Amino acid sequence: MTNGIQRRIREGLIERFRALVGVVTALANRAGQWLLALPGRMAQMVFTLPARIERTLLTLPGRAWRWLVGAKRVFVGSEPTPGETLVGLSSVVTIVGVGYTFLGPNDLVAYPLAGFIVTVTVGWWTHQARVAKIMTAVATVGTVLTVGFITYFLFRSAWPAFQEHGLALAALPQGPNGRVRWFFGLDAVLPVTGGETAWDPRGGVVSLLPAIWATVIVTIIAGLVAAPLGLLGALFIAEIASESVREIVKPAVEILAGIPSIVYGFIGFQVLNGFVQGAFLDAGASFFIAGTVVGLMALPTVVSVSEDALSSVPASMSDGAIAMGATEWQTMKSISIPAAFSGISAAVILGLGRAIGETMAVAAIMGAGTGFARPLFDVFDQGVTLTSRIATSYGSASSGTIDILFVAGVLLFVIVATISVIAQYIERRMQRKLTGER
Amino acid sequence: MSDAYAHDQKATLVSGDADYYDRALDVAIAVAALNFLLGLATLVGALGLETTGPALTDLMAGVAVAGVGGVGLVAAFTALNVVAIPSQRVRGLGVGLVAGLALLTTLSTVPSVDLGALLGAVLVLDGLAVGLAGIISRIGVVDTEPNASAGALAGLLFGGVGFVLGVALNGLVLDGVPVVLTGLLVAAALVLLTVLPREDLGSTLPAALIVSLLGIIVVGSVVDAGWTWTPTEPMNGGLTGGVVVSLFVVLGSLLAGWAAAKARARYGARGRQYGSFLVIYLNATLTVIVMISIVTFVAIRGLHYTFHGFTIGALSGLVVLSPVLVAALAYARRPAGAPDWNSGVRQIVRVLPLATVGAVAALLVAVVIRGEPFVHRFTYRIMESRQEQALETAFTVTPELTVGTLIVAIPGSVLFAYFYRKYGSLTGVGRSFDRQSAVQRGLGLAVAAVLTLAVVFLLGGPQPFGLPLGKTIGFGGVVVASVAAAVLAVVAVGGLLAGDGTLAERARRNAQFVKVGLFGGLGVVLAATLLQPTTTTTPSVGGVDLLPAAAAVGAMAGLVVAAVATLARRATGTDDAEQRLMGRLLAEEIRLGLVAATGFVVLIVGHVATTDSPFSVAGLTVSDGGTLSWPMVMFSAIPLGAEPGGILPAVVGTVWIVVGASLFAIPLGVGAAVFLTEYAEQGRFTALVEITTNALWSTPSVVFGLFGAAFLIPRLGDTPSLMAAMITLGFMLLPLVLITSREAIKSVPDEYRNASAALGVNRWETIRSVVLPAAVPGVVTGVILGVGRIAGETAPLILVLGVGDAGQSVDVLGGFQFITEPPFVYNGALLEASKALPKQVWAVIAAGVSGSPSKGWGTALLLLAVVLSFYLVGILTRRYFRRKLDYE
Repeated sequence: MTNGIQRRIREGLIERFRALVGVVTALANRAGQWLLALPGRMAQMVFTLPARIERTLLTLPGRAWRWLVGAKRVFVGSEPTPGETLVGLSSVVTIVGVGYTFLGPNDLVAYPLAGFIVTVTVGWWTHQARVAKIMTAVATVGTVLTVGFITYFLFRSAWPAFQEHGLALAALPQGPNGRVRWFFGLDAVLPVTGGETAWDPRGGVVSLLPAIWATVIVTIIAGLVAAPLGLLGALFIAEIASESVREIVKPAVEILAGIPSIVYGFIGFQVLNGFVQGAFLDAGASFFIAGTVVGLMALPTVVSVSEDALSSVPASMSDGAIAMGATEWQTMKSISIPAAFSGISAAVILGLGRAIGETMAVAAIMGAGTGFARPLFDVFDQGVTLTSRIATSYGSASSGTIDILFVAGVLLFVIVATISVIAQYIERRMQRKLTGER
Repeated sequence: MSDAYAHDQKATLVSGDADYYDRALDVAIAVAALNFLLGLATLVGALGLETTGPALTDLMAGVAVAGVGGVGLVAAFTALNVVAIPSQRVRGLGVGLVAGLALLTTLSTVPSVDLGALLGAVLVLDGLAVGLAGIISRIGVVDTEPNASAGALAGLLFGGVGFVLGVALNGLVLDGVPVVLTGLLVAAALVLLTVLPREDLGSTLPAALIVSLLGIIVVGSVVDAGWTWTPTEPMNGGLTGGVVVSLFVVLGSLLAGWAAAKARARYGARGRQYGSFLVIYLNATLTVIVMISIVTFVAIRGLHYTFHGFTIGALSGLVVLSPVLVAALAYARRPAGAPDWNSGVRQIVRVLPLATVGAVAALLVAVVIRGEPFVHRFTYRIMESRQEQALETAFTVTPELTVGTLIVAIPGSVLFAYFYRKYGSLTGVGRSFDRQSAVQRGLGLAVAAVLTLAVVFLLGGPQPFGLPLGKTIGFGGVVVASVAAAVLAVVAVGGLLAGDGTLAERARRNAQFVKVGLFGGLGVVLAATLLQPTTTTTPSVGGVDLLPAAAAVGAMAGLVVAAVATLARRATGTDDAEQRLMGRLLAEEIRLGLVAATGFVVLIVGHVATTDSPFSVAGLTVSDGGTLSWPMVMFSAIPLGAEPGGILPAVVGTVWIVVGASLFAIPLGVGAAVFLTEYAEQGRFTALVEITTNALWSTPSVVFGLFGAAFLIPRLGDTPSLMAAMITLGFMLLPLVLITSREAIKSVPDEYRNASAALGVNRWETIRSVVLPAAVPGVVTGVILGVGRIAGETAPLILVLGVGDAGQSVDVLGGFQFITEPPFVYNGALLEASKALPKQVWAVIAAGVSGSPSKGWGTALLLLAVVLSFYLVGILTRRYFRRKLDYE
C-alpha cells in the first residue's frame, strides 16, 4: 500500500523531470541551430549584396520610366482632350513652382500658388474628375514629402554637431572618485569627460550618453507597467467583457490616452513627487515616478493594439477549442494568446516607442540631472531623458547647443521609426499567417 | 457554451457535502477583496495605518454598515424575485462579504489593535483558510478535480515572489550572504513546492505560506508605520513602514484571493479560469478607477480657481440648457425594450436626465421670479509666489434676462443643424397653391439680388464709386425684407390654420404654405442681415430695429407651427396606415417649425453681433456683452491681488492652433487617403506610404517641434510664431487623418463601387457621391480624436510657439490685410508668438517654487475639459454611427 503510493510519487517525479529536461533540450537545440545558421545567413547576405545592388541599378531606368508614365496618367490621363492636357500641364508647372519657391526664394511662393489655385478653380468647372485626381495626388505627394523633409532637415541640422563633437557626444562622465564609470564594458571604448557632469555646453561637455541611459531606464519601467496590465486589459476587452461593459472600459482606456501628457506631468510634479518623498524617503523626482506615469500613458497603446491582434484571431480557432470542452481561460491561454502573440509583442514594442518619445510628463517630473543615475540602476535617482533634454534646454540654448539637441532628435526619430517599422512587420507577418495568405 | 457551464455549476456547486468548504472560501475571497481595497486606501493615504481604538471601531463599523446595506438591499430584491442572481458564486460572495465585515468589526474592538495590525491579521486568516482548503482537497474530504501540477505559469509567479522575498529576508535578517543567492534559493524552493505536488496543494500551500508570512510580519510589528529602511550609501531613497505594510496587504490579498478563487472552483481547468478571471477583472476595474480618479482629482483641485467670480444670468443659463434638453428628450424617447420585469426601471432611467433638466430649469426660473440672485459663496486657499492666501469668492446666478450673442449663437446653431438634419422634406404634401413655383423662384431671386448687393458694398464700401447709394439702398432693402419676412411668417401660420376639417387635415393640406412661408422668411432675413453691416444702416421704428423684430415674428411663427402640429399630432391616432402617415407628416412639420424658430434666433444674434445694437423683446434682451462673467476664461492676465489671473490669451491661442492645424491637415490627409485607396495601384508604393505614415504617427512630438524649428521658422520670419505652431501640429495630425481616412474608405464595401460603376457613373462621381459619404463617419471620428490629441500637445509648442503676451490675445481675424505685393495676403497676428493652454501649465512647472500651483490646476482642468470634450464627442459619434450601421 505505502509502497504503491511511494512508487507512484517517484514515477510522477521522474515523469515531470523528464518532461522538463525535454523542454529545456528542445529550446537549447533550437537556439543552437539558429546560432549555427547565423554566420551562413550573414555570409549569404554579404555575398549577394553586389548582385542586388547591380539588379537595382539596372532596373532603375525602367522604374523611373514607369513612374513618369504613372505621373502622366495621373495628371493628364491616357487619352487626354486638349483642355485636359492644359489643366494637367498647368497644374504640374505651378505645383512644381510652389515646391521650388517654398524651399528656395520663398517670398515668391505666392505667384505659383496663385497660379495653382486659378488652375484648379477653373479646372474644377471644366474637368472636375481630372482636377480631383490631381489634387488627391498632390496631397499624397505632399504627405510623402513631409516624411522626407522631416528626415532631411533633422539630419541636416544635426550634422554640424556630429562633425564638431564626434564621439564626444557619447562621452562617459567620471565617477565621484575620479575613476571612469563602468558602463557595460563600453567604458573601454568611449572618451571620458573632464569631470562628473556630462552636460555643460558652455564648458564644452556635451555628452548625450546619460540622457540615452535615462531614456532606457524610463522605458524599461514603463514597459514593466504597461505590458502586463495592457495584455490583461486587452484580454478583458477582446475576450471576456460583455457588450455593455466593453462600452465603458474601452472609452475609459481611450480617455486615459487622451489626457494630455502635460496634465500627467503636472499631477506627477505636484502630487506624486510629494508622495514618494513621504513613502520612499526620497528627494521626490525620480525615474520610478516618471517611468510609472509614462507606463500608464503607454498603456492605452498596448491595450488597443493587442486587442486588435486578439480580435483578429479567427473565431473558428477558438470555437474549435471550445468544442473540445476547453474553458474560456484555456482557450485564451492556449489558442488566442499564442496565435496573437506576434501582434501582442508588436503592441508592447509600440508602447515602448510611445514611452521613449514621451516628453512633457518626464520633463515635468524630473527636472534636472547632468550625470548617470548612481548606481547605474538606481530608479530613485533622477536624470534627463533625450526628450526632456530637448524640451528643457531648447529655450536657453545657443546655436551650437541647439545642433546637439538636434542630434538627440535624430536619435529619437531613428529609434522610434525603427520600432514602428519592426512592429508593423511583425503585425503583417501575423496577419499573413492567420489568414493563410502568402 | 455558457449554458452548459451554468448547468454544470449548479450540479457541483450546490452539492451538500461541499457547502462548508464553499462558504468558507467565499468568505476568504470576499475578505481578500475587501482587504485589497483597504490596502489601496492606506497606500494612497486615504486611511491611516495607525488608526486605533474607538476611531478604528468606528471606521470598520462604518464600512460594515455600508457593506451590509449594499448586500442587504440586493438580497432583499433577490428574495422578492425582482433581481435575478442565479450564480451561486455571486450569492456566496455577498454572504462572504457580510461575514468578513462582521469579523473585521469584531477584531477592531480589541484594544490596542491598529488598522495595520488588523489588515495583517486578516492576511494571516486568509492564508490559513487557503492552506486548509488545499489540504482538505488533497486528503479527499471534498470532491475536486485538480490537475497533476499547478503548472509552469504559477511556478514562475511564485518563483518571482520568492526571489523578492528572499532578497528582502537577506536584507532584514542575514548579513554577508550574497543577496542573489538567498533570493534564488527561496525562489527555487517555492517553485518546487508549486510545481511538484498535485495542483490543489501546489497552488494553495505556497500562497498560504507567503500570505501568512506577510501577515505575521505586519501583525508582529516587525514592520510597522514607524519603520524605515535606507539602503547603503550610494543608493537614493528608502522604504517607510507605511508603504511596505500597504504593499504587503495589497499583494497578499491579491495572492490569497487568487488562490481562494481557484480552490473555490475546484481547481482544474475551471479553477484556473476563476482565478485568472478574478485578476483580469480587477485589472480592468483598476484601469477605470485610475482614469476616473485622475479626472476627478484635477477637477477637484482646479474647480475653485476656475470658477472664481463666475456669474451667469438666469436667461443665459436657460439658453445653455436648451441643447441638453433636446439631448435628454432624444434619450427619453428611446424605447425601453420589452415589457418584462425591468422595463419599468429602464423607463425611469430614460426619463431621469429629462427630469434633471426640468429641475435645473425650474431653479433658474425661480431665480428670475424671485428677482434675487442665487449666490453660492466659497473660500479657498491659493499659493502665489510661495505665499499662501485665502480668497473669498462666489458662484452667482443673477436674475437678469439678458443673454450674450455667443451664448445664444452656439446652442442655437447646434440646434438648428440638429433639427435641419432631422427634417426630411415636405415636397408634394398637400395641395400646391396658385403660382407657388413663381413665388418660390421670386423669393430665390430676391435673396440672390440682396446677397449680390451685400457683396458689392462689402468690396466697394458703403459708397461705391463715390455714389452715396449704400444708405438708401440698404435702408430700403432691409425695410422691404423685414416686411416681407413678417408677411411670410403670417402666411405660414395663417395657412396652417385656414380652411376647415380637423387640425391635422388642415395642417396637411396647407403644408406648402408653411414650407414656403418659413423657409422664404429665413432666406430673406439672412440676406438682409448680411446687407445691413455692409451698408452701415440699421432701420428702426420707434427705437425698435426692424429686422430683428421681423426675425422675432418669424421665430414665434416657427414655434406656433411646431405647437399646432404637435397638438394635431396628438389628436391623431396610430390605428391604421393612413393615420400613421399623417403622424409622420405632422412630425416633419414640427421639425420644420423648430428649424425656423432656431434659425430666426440665430439670425437675431447675427444682427446684434454685426450692428452692435442690443435687441429686446418682451423683457428678454440679446446683447453683445451678455451676462456671463467667467474671469478665469474671459479675462487676460490680471496682476494678482484680490482676483486670480485670467488666461484668455492662452484659450484663444489654443483655439487658433487647433483650427489652423485642422485646416492644414484634414484636406491634405483626406485627399491623400482618397488617392492611395481609390486611384493608386495597391502595391509597393502604397505599402511604403502606409509604413512611413505609421512611423510618422509614432514619431515623438518633440521631434516634430525640432522639425518645425529647423524647417518652418526660417521660412516664416525667423521667429517662433502662431503660424509655425499651426503647421507643426498640422504635420502631427496629418498621419492620423490619413490612417483613419484610409481605414474608413477601405471599409466601404466594393459592392457600392461596382453598383455605381454598373450605372455608368465615372470614377470621380462614384467617389464623391458613394464612397466618401459612406466613409464620412470613420473619417470624422478619427479626425475628432486626433484633434483632441493635438489640442493637448505641449512639447512642439515650447519650440515653435514663442512666449506670447499674457495680457493680450492674438487677433487673427482682425489681422488680415490685403496688400499689393506678394504674398498679397498678410496677417501679422499669425506671425506673432502666442500663449496656449498646455504651455501655460508648463510655465507653472518651469517656474518651480515661485509658480502658482492653483493657477496650474485651474489651467489643467480647462485643458482637460477641452481635450476630453473632443474625445467624448468622438466616442459618441462613433457609437452613434456604429448603431446606425448595425440597424441597417
